[in-house]
Amino acid sequence: MADIKGNGGVAPAGAGAQTKKYAAKDFASDQDVRWCPGCGDYSILAQVQRILPELDVPREKHVFISGIGCSSRFPYYMEAYGVHGIHGRAPAIASGVKTANPDLTVWVATGDGDALSIGGNHFIHALRRNIGLKILMFNNQIYGLTKGQYSPTSELGKKTKSTPYGTVDYPFNPVQLALGAAGTFVARSMDRDPKHLQQVLLRAARHNGTAFIEIYQNCNVFNDGAFEILTEKETKPDHVVYLENGKPLIFGKENDKGIRLNGFTPEVVSLKDGKWRVNDLLVYNESSLDLAVLLATFSEREGFPTPVGVFYKADRKSYEQMLAEQIESVTQKRGAGDLDKLLKSGNTWEVSAN
Amino acid sequence: MLPNQSPAEAKTEQADLLFVTYGRHGEAPAPVIAAATPADCFHMAYEAARIAVKYMTPVYLLTDGYLANGSEPWLVPESKDLPAILVHFRTDPENFYPYSRNENNVRPWAIPGVPGLEHRIGGLEKQNITGNVSYDPDNHDAMIHLRAEKVKGIEKDIPLQEVYGEQSGDLLVISWGGTFGAVRSTVDKLRRSHHKVSHAHLRYLNPFPRNLCDILKNFKKVFVPEINLGQLAKLLKSEFLVPVVQFNRMRGLPLKSTELEKAIIETLSKDPVAQIESAVHGKGAK
Repeated sequence: MADIKGNGGVAPAGAGAQTKKYAAKDFASDQDVRWCPGCGDYSILAQVQRILPELDVPREKHVFISGIGCSSRFPYYMEAYGVHGIHGRAPAIASGVKTANPDLTVWVATGDGDALSIGGNHFIHALRRNIGLKILMFNNQIYGLTKGQYSPTSELGKKTKSTPYGTVDYPFNPVQLALGAAGTFVARSMDRDPKHLQQVLLRAARHNGTAFIEIYQNCNVFNDGAFEILTEKETKPDHVVYLENGKPLIFGKENDKGIRLNGFTPEVVSLKDGKWRVNDLLVYNESSLDLAVLLATFSEREGFPTPVGVFYKADRKSYEQMLAEQIESVTQKRGAGDLDKLLKSGNTWEVSAN
Repeated sequence: MLPNQSPAEAKTEQADLLFVTYGRHGEAPAPVIAAATPADCFHMAYEAARIAVKYMTPVYLLTDGYLANGSEPWLVPESKDLPAILVHFRTDPENFYPYSRNENNVRPWAIPGVPGLEHRIGGLEKQNITGNVSYDPDNHDAMIHLRAEKVKGIEKDIPLQEVYGEQSGDLLVISWGGTFGAVRSTVDKLRRSHHKVSHAHLRYLNPFPRNLCDILKNFKKVFVPEINLGQLAKLLKSEFLVPVVQFNRMRGLPLKSTELEKAIIETLSKDPVAQIESAVHGKGAK
């Protein structure tokens, strides 16, 4: 079994095997992409295809597994193994694939409805188990494939086809949910920030255990501009803070704002008026669950920037590692399994001829 | 495969047959088999695995509370005597088509990790042979038929239905699942008192054994006792267009031999036409 710190969640290419050098196009299948023109999914697809060559994993070792929804068409467009699965159940299928074949790199493509509503149960348990899946959740805060009903991440009061007078549901905060479900890699990125998305994807791919990325994704047909304030050049600097391990939380058009902690309470402060300096700011530590939980609330706090980047990363043994170790240790103690012995164990007896 | 058919109170019943036979989105048939006795559970579980792997399909194995709580002497098999379940994993990328099919209409097992066999499976309809996503209406129709034929074709690979007693006569009792013991002992008793009654206990419910239709035609009456409201009866009627007499009790308990015996004798004594009319009008054979 690979050392926990070894190469993380990425499967080794095999002893002595010369890994072929790939280009992004080697991961593009020949199937027609059927997303609407202008959909944020195109960018996510492109970034995934761009980072895969950097992983040194042979193409046949990648498996993309999805549920149902626009996001879940993803596997068809990847030149790799793919399963377009059952609504909400991609983590269950993927858990089986990864457990049986720990040397595969298993990706889950899902959406806010598929992961958090239909598949909420599978989603939280995949995170809790820390099974080696890379879960990419395209969050567009709407049911797009079914043409515009509110989803579990739609904001309170949102008017949609299924809520003509506004929703009366409080939405999930996916980062908070993933942290609460004991996720060991919890991150957020955006379709319109390709460089950042690539970095986060690479880190997720190399994580040992379940990696979760919430990807803000624009549905330009049914929820256009949901994240505009976070992605447009003019407004982005004042509304987004990039989380970088070991670096102070600075944001703003002129890097003139920061986050400081006043006891347990975070504050947005100005670096302009001389009262606060960079040294006073909160330095991000991605191995701190406390900070991650705190920062997860920012996207809903009035006046606070929305954090993107890696909220939390913990080193914990993965499910498949512990399973292999257990099989090994029990085999050492009790020897290899013997079906005939097993069948004759318990309440069995022999009837003799006389 | 479903574990015990479990009503809320976890008592024995046979109420999930239609659910496993038809309970899916779209036209997606799957094989259904059922164990007859506690010992038979082992063999039918093995059989379910054999069919699932050989035909690349989920298989439903039905057992019930009576089987789970029952016991009988069972000769533990030797693993060397169990028939091998062989599976051929494709490794050759030359001329590989993920939706090509063998003589049993089964696609190749091409598992992740094998170079050159990368492909996608899933909910969108695929073009026959190539496995490309296809929106062609005629292709969809053809694929629906292919999948149905695959499951139907399993009838060639399962045993013929056996009939206990004469191969023709006044009345055939057809049962399935954990009612085997109660039904067989009742039939034995009736036969000892010279009634022309035979018994067929089904272990294969989808597809049915390929000789089942002929068997049904050899009897004047068909009597179907079940711990549900007539699910196998419904399948037999729709599949073979034969009138059947139902016997249904749902008390969470096994069928009682005395009740069965009485109902069968009553059925034997009735005019077949009146019998059917009473069945059609929902009075059953009470």
